[in-house]
Amino acid sequence: MTATAPTVGHPKRPHRLIAAARRDPLLTIGLCIVALSIFLALFGTLIAPKSPTEPTGAPSEHPSLSHWMGTDASGLDVFSQVISAPRTDVVLAVSAALVSSVLGTLIGLTAGYFRTWWAEVVMRISDVLQAFPVFILGMMLVALSGRNTGNLIVALSLLYTPIFIRLTRAEVLTQRNRSYVESARAMGNSEWKIAFRHVLPNSLAPSLIQLSVTVGFGILLTAGLSYVGAGVRPPTPEWGLMISSSANQLILGEWWPSVFPGLAISFTVFGFAAVGNAIERRVGG
Amino acid sequence: MTDVSTPSSAVDQEVVLEARGVCVSYGEGTNAVSDFDLRIHRGEIVGLLGESGCGKTSAALALMGLARHPGRVSGSVLYDNRNLLEMSDAELRDIRGRSIGLITQKPRQSLNPLLTIGTQISRVFRAHNRVSKEEAQTHAIELLEAVGINDASRRLTAYPHELSGGMAQRALISMAMSSRPQLLIADEPTSGLDVTIQAQFLDRMWERAQATGSAVLLVTQDLGIIANYCDRIVVMADGRVIEERTVREFFLSPQQEYSKRILAVQSADTTTNPAARRLEGSDALVEVKALSKHFVLPDKRRLQAVQSVDLSIPAGHAVGLVGESGSGKTTVGRLLVRLLEPDAGTVLFAGRDITALDAKAFRPQRARMQIVFQDPFDSLNPRWTVDRIVREPLDLHGLGRGEPASNTTHAEKQQRIAELLDLVGLSPDTRNRKAAALSAGEQQRVCLARALATQPEFLVLDEPTSALPPAARVEMVKLLADLRRRLGISYLFISHDLWTVGQVCDEVAVMYLSQIVEQGTRAQVFEHPSHPYTQALLDSVLLPDPTDRRVDRERKDLAGEIPSPVDLPAGCYLAGRCPLVEDRCRAERQELVTMGDGRSVRCWKVAPATRSAS
Repeated sequence: MTATAPTVGHPKRPHRLIAAARRDPLLTIGLCIVALSIFLALFGTLIAPKSPTEPTGAPSEHPSLSHWMGTDASGLDVFSQVISAPRTDVVLAVSAALVSSVLGTLIGLTAGYFRTWWAEVVMRISDVLQAFPVFILGMMLVALSGRNTGNLIVALSLLYTPIFIRLTRAEVLTQRNRSYVESARAMGNSEWKIAFRHVLPNSLAPSLIQLSVTVGFGILLTAGLSYVGAGVRPPTPEWGLMISSSANQLILGEWWPSVFPGLAISFTVFGFAAVGNAIERRVGG
Repeated sequence: MTDVSTPSSAVDQEVVLEARGVCVSYGEGTNAVSDFDLRIHRGEIVGLLGESGCGKTSAALALMGLARHPGRVSGSVLYDNRNLLEMSDAELRDIRGRSIGLITQKPRQSLNPLLTIGTQISRVFRAHNRVSKEEAQTHAIELLEAVGINDASRRLTAYPHELSGGMAQRALISMAMSSRPQLLIADEPTSGLDVTIQAQFLDRMWERAQATGSAVLLVTQDLGIIANYCDRIVVMADGRVIEERTVREFFLSPQQEYSKRILAVQSADTTTNPAARRLEGSDALVEVKALSKHFVLPDKRRLQAVQSVDLSIPAGHAVGLVGESGSGKTTVGRLLVRLLEPDAGTVLFAGRDITALDAKAFRPQRARMQIVFQDPFDSLNPRWTVDRIVREPLDLHGLGRGEPASNTTHAEKQQRIAELLDLVGLSPDTRNRKAAALSAGEQQRVCLARALATQPEFLVLDEPTSALPPAARVEMVKLLADLRRRLGISYLFISHDLWTVGQVCDEVAVMYLSQIVEQGTRAQVFEHPSHPYTQALLDSVLLPDPTDRRVDRERKDLAGEIPSPVDLPAGCYLAGRCPLVEDRCRAERQELVTMGDGRSVRCWKVAPATRSAS
């Protein structure tokens, strides 16, 4: 093999995402955080140095070499809990964001494209849902349906669906007036075909932007609900729960059991928001 | 070094502005404008001609020291013996608006939507003159009246969205003229306006320039505008001036190859058009009777878009439907291919009433009739490749002629797509591109290929050329005339561009405010127009011929603009604008009367209703 051998096939080019990340440091940071949080959601419990659910040290130990983030009042290792929590927080938020984006996009498409009386009803219902403070409504839904992961996902999805309905509907309303839609009709497409084959793919940009942001909000809400006791049950490692159980210790100067999960929430929300922001700039939506 | 030719002797020799070696660059690489030299004299109208992207807008803006971000201007622009490009911002601000006015291409985007027209005009005026608000207000009224806006004092309180495009453009010229600038730079000021409004606007600008002695630099792609209004022409290509002469000399003997080509393209002769013959004895393919359509506006008012229109399109014929925007011609086109449902009337296609079919039963019929829209980019799904776009009708209907779509194999479709692209003059390598990567002319060809895919017998062409630059427009017209001859297809050709209609159609119907006002063969309508509206419409066509300028003729102008179809006038709909108006016109509705030579006219002065009985 010589160094001057002609390249066969495609010249080696970095992937589009990597090329974009190089030009955009915010996107790079965001993508790193998102990748890390997904990695931890999958493997966090496996790589945790200590058990996140069993006491592994003395209560309220300072951060040290054996307990990197110290231990909480029950002697649980804070670091292990922090990296195990994405299994709950990120999985919940991502599932809820996916469910609500798919549901909201489809409802928004039909409501915007067909504009019948039931579309009006759907819009008014989502108005009502959006009029309630998200947090209060989330608490109510969980209180009514019971505290388990499935119900939490349903509750979060229900909360976020109206945003996707509204965004998609607004885009559909502009797309449906464009001539390519009329051309498709003149060609003999059925209305459903026009809606799904032509209008839908051209109306996805706002939902895609919102998707990443919604994951961030979902994490915040999951943690918030757990903090007030309307989320997951202890001893599941979960950031909101950790803060809630250690908040009282703050006054005694034991900052580590609550500050580290707090930082984890902030970084994760920021990461997803940064990715959403980068998508928005790239698709110009 | 600019003395390529001597300006016409009628022009005052005092130089208002002189550009020497102006360059505009956007980032590294080539210059958008290089070594641009130009002298503009007092009272002179200079036309700056060139295709889109040749740098004419950049050059015109550079004369005011402006460049779009991230552009940089170098060279020198001498105004009043001082170099504009070396002045401070404060000095420049003083010159801009007061000494040099600018009118840009998109009137509505150039006006502030939050302020009334009056406020905006008086602010510009007060920025350069020490006057009270009241004085500025009075001045604004005078300015609006000077550009032909009726009821100017009331219009002052209007917001930009309440004005029509033509009205907004005239508000903009008032603003640019408010301090009586010595030079007015107008960048394609009439693109997107109706011919009638375009002519009115340019007339006003010409009159203002004559009256105040100010010079005008008119940037345009339209030789008709140059021939009718300009004294001198500067031709640009690839960022450079390639020719500069008086307009008369230019039209007599253009020097450069490019100029010859563009001149040949835009003054193509109508008389050699083979489509002009009239086919005899063919049955009507499309027969429209008493078609009416209204829309209900969000505020519940009723907009009558189309009112008892009768139209007959024989097989193989091309019928032109002309009129200003808002005349209802587009609605007629959409009713004919059933993109809209009529309130009343019938549309017979090959003897069958298509309005009576239910939506599903009608769908297979769509293979036989197609429509091409005005905006080609908007008509193509932005995410699809040309290949997929042209394949869609084949997937739905097969190769047309009534076979089920499933009978067509993939290979047959591929072959048909290649055939179609060839038919409309697109190279095979466009197949894998998306609409955004094509020029407007190419986009419209894709639309045409898609429309022809299923071998329709009838095509509605809804302003297919008006979004195209002049050269592409001429190409498109040739293609349409050629396709009709080769495929024997019938057209309903909707346009406000009369030249284009003349090239393609054998018969012409003129629409005004929801009604047909005149209908006849092309020769009848174009050579001997009888309805006052048709006459005015034809009169506002700007032919690229400097020996027959509109400004030298006695004009058959219509006053103002098309009224809103929401509150239709009591008598003849044209009464408010017609130069021949009498009391009877204001009181009586007009009937469409067929005259002895077969043409129909809706005007009692031309075709008295009593003769219809005979």
